[in-house]
Amino acid sequence: MANNSVEAANTTTQSVNTNTHTESKTMKKKKRSSQWTWYIFLIPSFLGILLFMVYPIAESLRLSFFKSNGTIETFTGLANFRTVLTSGPFWNSVWNTFYIGIFQILITIPLGFIFATLINSVSKGKNFFKVLYFLPNVTSIVAAAMIFQFVLHPEMGILNYILGSLGLPTPGWFSDPATSKWGVILLAVWHWIGFVIIICLANLQAISSEMYEAAKIDGASGFQQWLFITIPNMTGTFAFLLITGWIGALQRFNEVYVVGGPNGSPARSIQTMGAFIYERGFTGFEFGIASAATYIMFIIILIFTFINLKVSKMKI
Amino acid sequence: MRRGIYKKKVTFFITMMLLLSFALVGCVPKSNSSSSTSKTEGKWAGQKIKVQMIGDFAMDDKTDPVTGETAKGMKVVKAEFEKQHPGATVEFVLMPWEGYTEKTQAMITSGEADVYQMPGVADFAPQGVLEPLQPWIEKDKEFSLDIFIDNQVDGWKALGPDSKELDIYGLPFLGDTRFIAYDKKLFDDWGVEYPSENPTMEEIAEKAKQMTGKNPKTGEQNYGIWFRGDWSSAFTLVDLAEGQNGSWGTGFAWDEVKFNFESPEMLNGLNWLLEMQKYAPKGIVSNQGNEKWLSKDNNIAIMLNQGPGDTVKPAYAQGLGDRIGIVNEFKNDEGRGGLFAGSPITIAKDSKNKELAWEWVKFATSDFVQKYVFEEYGAIPAVKSATEWDSVKEMPLMLPVFKAMETPMTPRYPWGSSQPRFILTSEIEAALTGNRSAEDALKKAQKESTEWVENR
Repeated sequence: MANNSVEAANTTTQSVNTNTHTESKTMKKKKRSSQWTWYIFLIPSFLGILLFMVYPIAESLRLSFFKSNGTIETFTGLANFRTVLTSGPFWNSVWNTFYIGIFQILITIPLGFIFATLINSVSKGKNFFKVLYFLPNVTSIVAAAMIFQFVLHPEMGILNYILGSLGLPTPGWFSDPATSKWGVILLAVWHWIGFVIIICLANLQAISSEMYEAAKIDGASGFQQWLFITIPNMTGTFAFLLITGWIGALQRFNEVYVVGGPNGSPARSIQTMGAFIYERGFTGFEFGIASAATYIMFIIILIFTFINLKVSKMKI
Repeated sequence: MRRGIYKKKVTFFITMMLLLSFALVGCVPKSNSSSSTSKTEGKWAGQKIKVQMIGDFAMDDKTDPVTGETAKGMKVVKAEFEKQHPGATVEFVLMPWEGYTEKTQAMITSGEADVYQMPGVADFAPQGVLEPLQPWIEKDKEFSLDIFIDNQVDGWKALGPDSKELDIYGLPFLGDTRFIAYDKKLFDDWGVEYPSENPTMEEIAEKAKQMTGKNPKTGEQNYGIWFRGDWSSAFTLVDLAEGQNGSWGTGFAWDEVKFNFESPEMLNGLNWLLEMQKYAPKGIVSNQGNEKWLSKDNNIAIMLNQGPGDTVKPAYAQGLGDRIGIVNEFKNDEGRGGLFAGSPITIAKDSKNKELAWEWVKFATSDFVQKYVFEEYGAIPAVKSATEWDSVKEMPLMLPVFKAMETPMTPRYPWGSSQPRFILTSEIEAALTGNRSAEDALKKAQKESTEWVENR
């Protein structure tokens, strides 16, 4: 009897064990299958990345070793890279890209920060100013570039009209290589400043008010609070703006194409690296040269982003 | 509870809006491409061709935002072709001029269409992607090249992948040309005689100089001349050299091309442009300063290197048809000079229905299509018979345009859309903006262009 009950208990334990085992197996199976389900959901976007990013990047690398017009190809090794690196117009385009980029960043980040501080300090109409300054950023850069051609028109432009009525010299802007880059810088600053203001404002509003209160009790002036509390707390934002600004500046194409065409008129003064690639690739069918220039541009961006990360001590 | 009901209402509203948008989008007919199922009866039963066209063409009727005129769609042309070719189907791929070169390259690489409108025929023919048309012309007894305006067929000749002789790969579809346009009112105001039919550089310079300053009748500031100092300046300069019996150089195949950018005629031409800049408004190197041209308040007397598309129809649309005059560009002693332009049509080498594609080529160069695209879209015809059409007679400015189409330099400049053009353009800009002397600019252009050709 006792034996029977022990056996029965054993059987029950065994069946419980088996059940638990089966359950855990089913659970594992379910877990695995649910994991796979997620991968299935990822397939469309993964395919998109594969087709529209990975493939063009790999194809462009392959093309950079060929002389290609799209249909006829000849392997040329590193000749395209040599052509680009010894090309005067390419280095001119690098200079233009950096010149416009440096001044855009040097002007926009400090100016945007000052405007953000001012907007943050007003008690009324904060949202109005936010909208006002952010509007240029949502405007299409192509449309903005076209409008700027009128604004900076050497004879009929509103800016020259104002300068003229103040008795100041009126530059030729886009019709003079000496001032055309500054025309693009003005456009770039106008377009990007809204974004800088919004990002700076977000950071400014996140700084604890207790720090300012403590500083006030310690007798710090408004300027001292700004210098010793606000600015140190903004470094992360500045680093972010610096890196994204640089990447955007080095890829500049749309506005210079609208204003100066693929060869950056006048006299290649606003031809950027992107425009150089477009000129060689899509107006002259030199896809090999264009691809080599693209990879050189990629390396330049990579080096500069690395330097920027080191300088700004930003963690990624 | 209330919030839940509100949320449900919002979700319902958004869903309904989305459904409505999808329904509306689904109901909109396709405007830039056309398609239809293949037909089973008729001589061309089941045969289908795809035709690529560049410009302002649209399948459906549309209204011009500037002139306010309504243009009938290409559906009329499609219907007529399918009526004339029972059983056949034609589909269109319509694209704007922006980026047409790269789009055409992408399309032809992937075998997207059977017939292409192709201004860059000289670049595509050597790739072996186009059907030579001479055998089709010879085979078709009904077709004659005499229908085209003189010089138009020769202008589109190109080199095939293995040939050393120029051959026909495209037939003229849309005409184009370059000429000098002028404002008769300004000439009258200043008491200056209109330019002669074939003006010289000296004549234009003298007249431009006379008409720069305060208009004696209106008191407005007038400028004697305007020309693009950027995009098309290379063609303006080459025409100036041709006007002095010079040339851009020689050759057509790249291994035979020799540039002549440093020649005395080119140098004289560039110095002439520098002189003319004094009588032009500011901004010629950024395509500015000509904003009042073809308006009642126009302030420019002479416009160099103009095209019919931007001049003829817009002038009539603004009610200025009688005020504008057109004369030839600078020509050499043989009466030739200036850029050859326009659009030929070509057949893709890999077309599956070449017979039908050839039928389309003939149809597109027939009076029906040529007249239709002129009347509806202002596209310039390439056929001689156009001078007899009432619609052309209503626009007397078209007659000097047809004349100008007979005399440009042919074949088309082989460097017209390659690096040498951009090199020369940039150097002209450098000279016009005072960054380099005319001599140095041309020397640099010659050196860089020659190096580019050698390293190709």
